[in-house]
Order: sequence, then C-alpha cells, then structure tokens
Amino acid sequence: MPRPEENIITLTVDGRDIQAVDGAMLVDAAAGGDIEIPVFCYEPKLGGPVGACRMCLVEIEGIPKLQTACSTPVKDGMVVHTQTDRVKEAQNSVVEFILLNHPLDCPVCDKGGECPLQDVSFGYGRGVSRFTEPKRHFVKPLALSPLIAIDRERCILCYRCVRFSQEISEDHQLVLLERGAATFVSTFDGHPYVAPFSGNIIELCPVGALTSRAYRFRARPWDIEGSGTVCNLCPAQCNVTLTVRDDRVLRVLARDNEGVDDGWLCDKGRFAYQATHSDERITQPLVRDGDRLRPATWERAIQVASGVARHDGAVGAIVGGETTNEEALLLGNYLRNTLGSNDIDSRDGGALSAGLLRALADPKIQATVPDLEYAHTVLLLDVDPVDDAPVLDLRIRKGARRNDMQVLVASSRPTALDPRAAQAVRHAPGSAASMVLALDAALNGDGAAGTHAANAGADGAEVRALVEALEQSGEDIVIVVGERVTDGPAGEAAGQALLRIAAKLGLGERDGAGILEIPRGTNGRGLREVGAVPTAGPGLADLATAGRSSTEIATAAAAGDITALWLVHTDPVRDSQNKDLWIKAIAKAGLVIAHASTLSPELAEHANVVFPAESGAEREGTITHPDGRVQRLRKAIGAPEQVKPAGAVIARIAEIGSSVDLGASVGPAATEAVARAVPFYEHLTAEEIGGRGIRWQEREAAANLQPGSSTGETVAPQPAASPNGALRLGTFRSIWASPEVEISPALKFLSRTPSAELSPEDAQRLGVTNGNSVEVAGVSATARIRSDVPTGNVFIESGVAGGASLPADGELVEVKPR
Amino acid sequence: MSAILFDRIDEPGLADISVYEKRGGYEALRNALKQPREGLVEELKSSGLRGRGGAGFPLGMKASFIPGGDMDKYLVCNADESEPGTFKDRELMQKNPHQLIEGMIIAAYIVGANRSFIYIRGEYELPADVLDEAIAQAKAAGFLGENILGSDFSIDLVLHRGAGAYICGEETGLLDSLEGKRGNPRLKPPFPANQGLFQGPTLINNVETLSTIPAIIKMGGAEYAKLGVENSAGTKLVSVSGNVQRPGNYEIELGMKSRDIIYGLAGGPEPGREVKFWFPGGSSSPVLTAADLDLPYDFDSLAKAQSMLGSGAIIVVDDSNSVVDVAVKLASFYKHESCGKCTPCREGTSWTVKMLQRIQAGEATPMDLDIIASVQEQIIGNCLCVLGDAMAMPVSSMVNKFRGEFEEHIEKAREAAGLGLTPPVTPDEPVLTLN
Repeated sequence: MPRPEENIITLTVDGRDIQAVDGAMLVDAAAGGDIEIPVFCYEPKLGGPVGACRMCLVEIEGIPKLQTACSTPVKDGMVVHTQTDRVKEAQNSVVEFILLNHPLDCPVCDKGGECPLQDVSFGYGRGVSRFTEPKRHFVKPLALSPLIAIDRERCILCYRCVRFSQEISEDHQLVLLERGAATFVSTFDGHPYVAPFSGNIIELCPVGALTSRAYRFRARPWDIEGSGTVCNLCPAQCNVTLTVRDDRVLRVLARDNEGVDDGWLCDKGRFAYQATHSDERITQPLVRDGDRLRPATWERAIQVASGVARHDGAVGAIVGGETTNEEALLLGNYLRNTLGSNDIDSRDGGALSAGLLRALADPKIQATVPDLEYAHTVLLLDVDPVDDAPVLDLRIRKGARRNDMQVLVASSRPTALDPRAAQAVRHAPGSAASMVLALDAALNGDGAAGTHAANAGADGAEVRALVEALEQSGEDIVIVVGERVTDGPAGEAAGQALLRIAAKLGLGERDGAGILEIPRGTNGRGLREVGAVPTAGPGLADLATAGRSSTEIATAAAAGDITALWLVHTDPVRDSQNKDLWIKAIAKAGLVIAHASTLSPELAEHANVVFPAESGAEREGTITHPDGRVQRLRKAIGAPEQVKPAGAVIARIAEIGSSVDLGASVGPAATEAVARAVPFYEHLTAEEIGGRGIRWQEREAAANLQPGSSTGETVAPQPAASPNGALRLGTFRSIWASPEVEISPALKFLSRTPSAELSPEDAQRLGVTNGNSVEVAGVSATARIRSDVPTGNVFIESGVAGGASLPADGELVEVKPR
Repeated sequence: MSAILFDRIDEPGLADISVYEKRGGYEALRNALKQPREGLVEELKSSGLRGRGGAGFPLGMKASFIPGGDMDKYLVCNADESEPGTFKDRELMQKNPHQLIEGMIIAAYIVGANRSFIYIRGEYELPADVLDEAIAQAKAAGFLGENILGSDFSIDLVLHRGAGAYICGEETGLLDSLEGKRGNPRLKPPFPANQGLFQGPTLINNVETLSTIPAIIKMGGAEYAKLGVENSAGTKLVSVSGNVQRPGNYEIELGMKSRDIIYGLAGGPEPGREVKFWFPGGSSSPVLTAADLDLPYDFDSLAKAQSMLGSGAIIVVDDSNSVVDVAVKLASFYKHESCGKCTPCREGTSWTVKMLQRIQAGEATPMDLDIIASVQEQIIGNCLCVLGDAMAMPVSSMVNKFRGEFEEHIEKAREAAGLGLTPPVTPDEPVLTLN
C-alpha cells in the first residue's frame, strides 16, 4: 500500500491559524501549532483513538457538545476553542474524577516527577477535591510478571497496556476484569504476563501503576540523566535512551525512531542492560597461567597478545556481531596488510562471492524498515522476526492490522507471524536454498520448480500457490530474508536466485519494494561492508585471493594450518553450530585471543589472553542496520577501570607486535577512517549520522558502490532427507539465547535448557509430553509441543549456555525421552 | 384508534406461523420483495417512524445511510431491553415473534443486508425460546435462507443471547458483545451505518421499530404518518409500572395526554395516593411531577418539558415513597452497570452513589446536595456513551425538583443518627470555590 498522501489544511485553534495534515487528529494538529490539549488514553502508536479518559474535551464551533480532540479529525476551516470556561470546567471535572480513586502517593511512587498524571493535574485540575468518601482499594503492589509490578490503585484505566497487548504485540494476555469503578487490569487467567515485548507497557503507563521491578526505588527523576544510544543486542538496532545514575545504567527507554523501531523495545533490549553491572562480567585482562586464566596487567596481556605477529600468515579472526565498524576495519587492516592473512569472517554459514554481496547491496533493491508497514505484501524467507530481529515483528503486525498488508511465509520452523499470514509454506530445515530456487523457477515458469520444491521437502502445490499470491499481490513487495537462506555450499546459488526473484518482481523499480536481509549478528551488515568477510575487502571490494570462511578457519586451526585465533566479541563455542569443531580448533591453536564479557567453559579453558569487552553502554562507534542505516553507539557511562575499547587494544597489539600504526582507533577519527575505507560511506561523519542514523543508500556516495554479479562457484543444494522414522533437525536462536540474558538478574528467569520443538504427532509417537526432558542427538533439551511444527522435524534452540554440538540443519537425528 | 403492534395480540397460537399467516402475515414481505428498494426506503421515510429504542432517530433516514454496493452488510435487532421499567419488547417477541421476523426480513431487503442477528438479553429465556421456534418455522417456510420466495434475495437470521449487561443495550456495546468482545461502547463516529458489526455497514434497530415495518408496508408510509402528531408519527407501546393499579403494556397513539395514560389506562395510584413524580421514558429520563400530567405524550412535548420519551416506559411514584430512596436505588443501578471505559461515568456514578447513601444514612449535610448537583453536571454530555447521562439526568432532576425533601431527610436522618443539626447553607452560594 502506498503511503497516504498528505493534504495540508488550515484550522483555527484559540484564534490562531494552524496548518495541519487533513484528517490528523485535533490533538496532534493543535500540538503542531504549540497548543497543548491534555490527554491520558490517546497514544497514536496504539492505533485508533478510544476516547475513554475524556481529558481532551474541547469546544468546536458548530457542534453543541464538547468533543474529544483525540478522536476528532481536523477539517479545513474548523474553529476550535481549548481555553473557554466550558472547556476548563470539563478539564477540571475529569481531573477531579480521575483523582477520586487515585491514592496520591506521589512521594513514594517511582513515576513521581516524570508523571503525566501529575503534570495534567497541576496544569488542568482544580487543585482541590470535594471527595470525602473512602477510596477504592486493591492489594498492591502485585507482580504482573517477574519484570513488572502492578499497582491497581494508581491505575486510571486508560487502557494503554491492554491495547498494547491486544493490538500491538497481539499476545492477547492483558485484559480488563470486572466493570465500572471496580474494573482492573489483569491477565486472562492470572498467569504472569510473560511475552517478548511486555516491558513496553511500563513506558506506556501514564501513571505509576505499571513499574519496572528492576528499576523500582532505584532512583528519582532528579537523580538521573538520559543518554541516547543504540541497543547493540540484535540486528534490529533499536534506538534507546539509557537512564544513568552515578555512572550506572538503571533503565532503558525507547527512543522513538520511525525508521528503525517505531518506539518499541523487546524485553531483552529493555532489561539486559543489567549485564553491564553484573558480577559475572569479565572486567579485567586475563592471561593463561598453566591450566587457568589469571588476572593480569594490561602490559602483560598486550605482550602476550602481540605474539600474534609471530604467527604471520597463520592467523584467523572471527568477528562477532556486536563489533563496531571501526573495530572490524582496524582488525581487518592489521590482518590483511601486516599479518598477511585474509582469514577473517563475521558469518557462520560460509562465504559468498564479493560480486554477489555487491549485487545484494544494490540500493535499488534495498527495502527499508518502514516499507514493512506500507508494502502490499511481505514475504518472510526462513526468518522469524520475533527471534531474529524482534521489533520488526511488531512492524509487520502493524502493517497487516492497519494497512491490510498481506503476509506470506516460507520457512522451515513455524513463525510467530503465521497466524497473520495469508499463506505459510513449510520446507525442510536447512533447505531454504532449494526453496528459493523453487520460488524462482515457479516465478519464471521454469519446469524445474517441482523438483526444487521436492528437494526442499515442500509441497509443490503450496509453492505454486505462494508464487501466485506474490504475483497478484500488488507492486510493493518486501522480501525479508534470514541469513540462513545463504548458508552452506548452496548459499551462492540461493543468493543468485534471490536476485532473479527481485528482478522478476520488479523490486528494483519501486521505492517501497525490495529485499531486507536480517543477519545473525547485530552489525552483520556493517561488518560485511567494512570487509570482515573472507571474500571482500572494505567497501565489498574484490580481493586478489580470498581467505577462509569461519568454518574453514576452524578446520584449518584444528588441523594446525592456522596457529593463532583472534575472537572479537564472539565465543564460537557458543555462537557457532559447529561447537565440537571449534573446541578442537581453540584447543589446537597456539594462541587464542578473545575480547569478551563472558566465556564458555571451553574458551575459558583454551584462551591464552582475554581482553574485557566494553558493554553497549560504554562503547563508541558506528554500526549498520540491516536496511543500511548507519547508526552511532554513544558512550553513556565510563567503563570499569580495567576495560578498554577493543579498537585501542587492537591498535596497541599492532604497535607492540608489529610496530605498525593502524591510525585512529576510537572516536570520530576512527569513524572517518571507515568513511575513507568504504567508498559508499564517503565523507560520513558522526555529526551527519546524528541521533537517528542515516541510510547510506540515501546519500550521494551510494553511487560509489561498484555494480557486482555473482562470481562464486554455484553448488546445487542437497535434496532434503526424508525423515523415514527419524526426525530432521532444525536449529533456531531464540530472542532469549544470549549471555546478556543469562547474567542479567531481571532476565535470569528466562534462561533455560534448550527447548526442542516437536509436532504433536511425533511427540505422541515418541511418548513425550510438553515439558518433558528429551535427548536430541546427544543434547539434552526440554520438549515443547507446537502444533504448527510439521511432522518429521524437530527444532532445537541454539546459542544457549551449556548447549552441545549439533549436526547441520536438515540432518536426521534421533529424539529420545529421558 | 385500532391497534397496530398489539392487533389481536392475545389471539391463541399467534406465535405459530400458521396462525400468523392466516391473518395476513408475511404478505407485506411478499409485496415488498416485488418492489424496488429505493421506493421502500421512501415509504419508511414518509411514515415518520422514529426509533422506539430510546434515541428516537427517524428509521427511514437511518436506513438510507446504509451505503449501496456489494459488501457484507448487517441488520441487527436490539432486543436487549434492559432499561428499568421497560417490558414492551418482551411481550412483542413472546406473543407475536413473526411480526418481528417479517419486519427484519423486509428491513434487510431494503438495506441490502445479507446477515441478520437478534441480540436478546439473557434473562429473556421464554421470548428467546419462542423466537428460536419461530425462526425455525420461518426458515422451513422459505422466508429465511437462500432466494427467499423465488427472489434473488437471501438472508439468514441468528438469535444471540446476551450475558446480562445494561451496556450491551447501547448499540455499539451490543455490536462489540456480538463480535465476542467485552461489551464496551465504541467511539462515534464512525456510526454503525458505516462501520458497525465486523466493520461492515449495519442497520441496528429496536424490536418495536422493526415490528412496525410490516404494518407500514401494508398501509403505506403516508397513511401511517397520519397517526400520532407532528414529529411523533404512529402508535407507541408504553410500559406503565410503579404505583398504578393496572400496570402493563398499552399501545397508544402518540400525542395522547399523559394523564389519560397514567390514570385512564393504568388506573392511577391506589385510592388516597397522589402521583408525586413520574419517569416518562424509562429510568434514565428526568422526572416530571404531578404538574406535568397534562403534557401530551410525544417526543417534542416531553423534550420541551426537559425530559424525554425514551423507551416509552412510564414509572409512576406516589407520595408514599421517599425521593431519597428512589435516587439511591436508581443511581446504584447505573453504578453497577457502568462499563468503566470512560472516566466521568465510571467515577461519577460511583461517587454519586456514595454521596446518596450517606444522605440516606444521615451522615450528610445539605452541602452534599450541591456537590451531587455539580457532579451530575460534570457527567452530562462529557461521557463516551449515554449511560452516564442516564444516571445524571434523573438524579439531577430529583435533587433540583425535590431539594426541600432531600434537605428535610438530611436533617431528620442526622438527628436519628445522633449527628445533630447542620449549619445553615445559602443555596445560591457555591460551597467550594478557589480564591
């Protein structure tokens, strides 16, 4: 659906002419003319107005009754009065009514000082109450969930939280019970409100009824400062404001950016700040001393690490998703220019050719986040936004709910958006490449579509129906692609097919259409663009000789061909599916350097030197959003004394080990170095990026991206194995599978043993019930029975602490009850 | 005047389709299906029939708001009759269900609806059972279903039983409830005619209104409009209850003198008792006193007297009752039924009850009467739907018209409660002011 056209009209409010968009709500139009109309229940992010609180009553000429400004669309020539005695009387009345049952316990309320109810009462109330009766009482506070406390006496029943649960996150958990003055907010059956986005209701609450249990009584508004930055825990890169008191982060709030997050946060982003101040975090350099890591001085740690220079030509580096563009560029430069190695990778699934990467980065076929809301159709290709980039799940729901956007799904594991989807086609785990080839063939009328569909383990008729829906769905189509689509040897072929699909659907010819690839790591896109991949240098430039991909690096290290491993903000034992291979690699390598905040037991056993990593709140630098928006991480608090920026550490190692000056390692100068190295980031400065980021595709320098086409070897995907009694294995990394969740006290209740998702039929056959302990390919897991899982498959959660090595996606495994 | 809705209402077996057809039932439908829809809308308009549910909106105009075009459209019959004092729809449904069904089929044909519902209050078990049977008969006879009477018009009718909430008689609350949601009123606009049930155009009308349609089709709109008085065409069912000797439903021609209804038809209060005050249009209408008994009973006359015709339920209160008790009872009902969605109604009804109960118990002062009056003013016109007004208007009228009795009660009850006399208050001066 194309974005609505905006028609500017003029209306008169309190005698002043105001320009506004035709049909905008009067509250917003008045605000645009600097006239404040008080509200409680109105929140346009929650959808249409409900007109419940009646705070915004105003007088409109020609209408006898007072009208709610939140629900009145403006028209040309409308004459409005917000300051008349009649309006003031109504405002006084509503404030008096709202405060009747409110406890007025502001001195002990967390919201005190930043409370809309206080502000509106002060600004629009009578200042006295005539109410002498007993107030309504509830038991309080209660735990609405482990994260949220509810104080029902303070609640003014504005419905914001309930509307969020019903219409935004669509988890349908919050409801109103009872009626009239006895109404209260609750969950349907009294269960705790646990959902990926539950924390947003704390911020939505205009009073102190919903408070964060992690923040309760930690600070008053006059003790704190806000510091704007970007959450670096997943590729959604939501904009946040950190609440800082005495150099400690106490809270994370959304910093509404329409181009990124639409003002929402997931609970990981909202509560995992606690990892910064966790006792379990590594906050000093560690150096191996015999069989254990011991705290060491910085000099000693740098000295050990600078031994990397002696491994000339045999150094492999893995760059984790949280790494900034600046850090990755420095490391890549040192590796390529001084240490003679192209063995650097930031992806887990194998390398793609530089030409293909450039073709996929073509600005013309690049979709943006807002496109997810206004497209005619969004197709999800083996990606589940709620786990892979949570906040995008809400954006797609918004499009479907408000703009009748069509959602199509082609994935191995059922997605959270399936109930919203017009069609959801399943393929075998690990067979996304065959699926893409099947879609391409069906779109282009190629007879091989059936074969590809069969190879993908998908139903040919369903694939054809999906393609038909795509063809008839209107021009603005956005394809959201999971990184696993281009995994493995067939990744290059899948990438090519993706480009053919884009060309056939004309995605390059329309602004609102395109491809949005969701990488596994936060800065997956930026790392690729600054050259942290084996096949391309900074700016996705061709290399004379390609290096090894991550799996090849691990294999080479295990074989002794690579003798030094440099792991920046990643623990491959945890993050890679090839856990066993990586354990062998780090055990065999002579030198293992890690930049980390936490370590898996295996890495702790084999690392030679560990540098404490800065947390997101302490870090400075740029990261690139999946849609090309370059954003700034800004330092909100000082790091612990012994924690230094990874860029500075890399530069110091190069200086001591190889006597090389890598140039600026931190700050604006380092960002300028990135802008010099990547042609299509040319002249990009911290100032230009600013608080909201800027998409590089929208800058002139975007023309500096050289055109490209796939030059890699095309390998046909393997046909999916037929389960034949066994189960096909699929993996997924849940939103909660991260070390930050595990070491944040507030979120600890969410960390768990990996779950294994089974279809009801398979579960019955195996004699497994929901919550049972099972063993999947030797890994112990908790069975979760999910009716949408196709029979013959089992999906196991990866990236969880203590997880074991798993076979590749699509391989047959045995599931045994334990 | 010959009865229209109550025409031979007590004929044995009238609820059965054969008896109904024998007296000419479903002929209006046969006739209507042969006529173009536009002409029929004109008939409804010229009949001057105003909605009988309480708001009195002209039926023809409402029907003409339903947009044309090919889409799902709905007809909903509001049978949630929950206004205290109102029991006319019950009798209509229980005794002559086919009249309603026929009216609904014609209405659905006129506005092009393809799905129709009767939302009946859960307590009406007998009328619901009667309707279920009647709907089954109408289906079997081919009046409901596909291609009715060989035409290309198809309509289905579903009876839905409510779960017992006054707010579900409010049309948008009813629609939410019918959709399976919590029955809360919606913001208007959009009005149901544009976005009603399941967001589709919806004509929603009261049982009595829809039951009148067959008669209008039979006699013609212009002929029907000759009944009654200007702006209040036709006949009306009034439910008379309270302190009268012959309570019950009566069909009257609009414009009849109120005294003739209360004394003539319903027999007036017991001998020796006088009418103290009366609710002319259900418990939510501002009360009128004995001085108003000569008012013609029609929409405009009652509105001019600062009250309303509402659902046509006359509740008579004689001089054996205390106005304080009536006010407490009435306000408590609305407090109990407030859905809680909008602030003035949720908080205002609950506050008013607390104050009235204090008055009743002898713990109040005349100052509280000023606060009560002011709170009612703060509610009226400021709510999302009319439930808040439905309490505030009658309570306000009682306090204003019987202030002396309230004050007297306060004094006596205070003495009885051992609290002594209250200091004098000048009624003209507001009790609390700033500055």
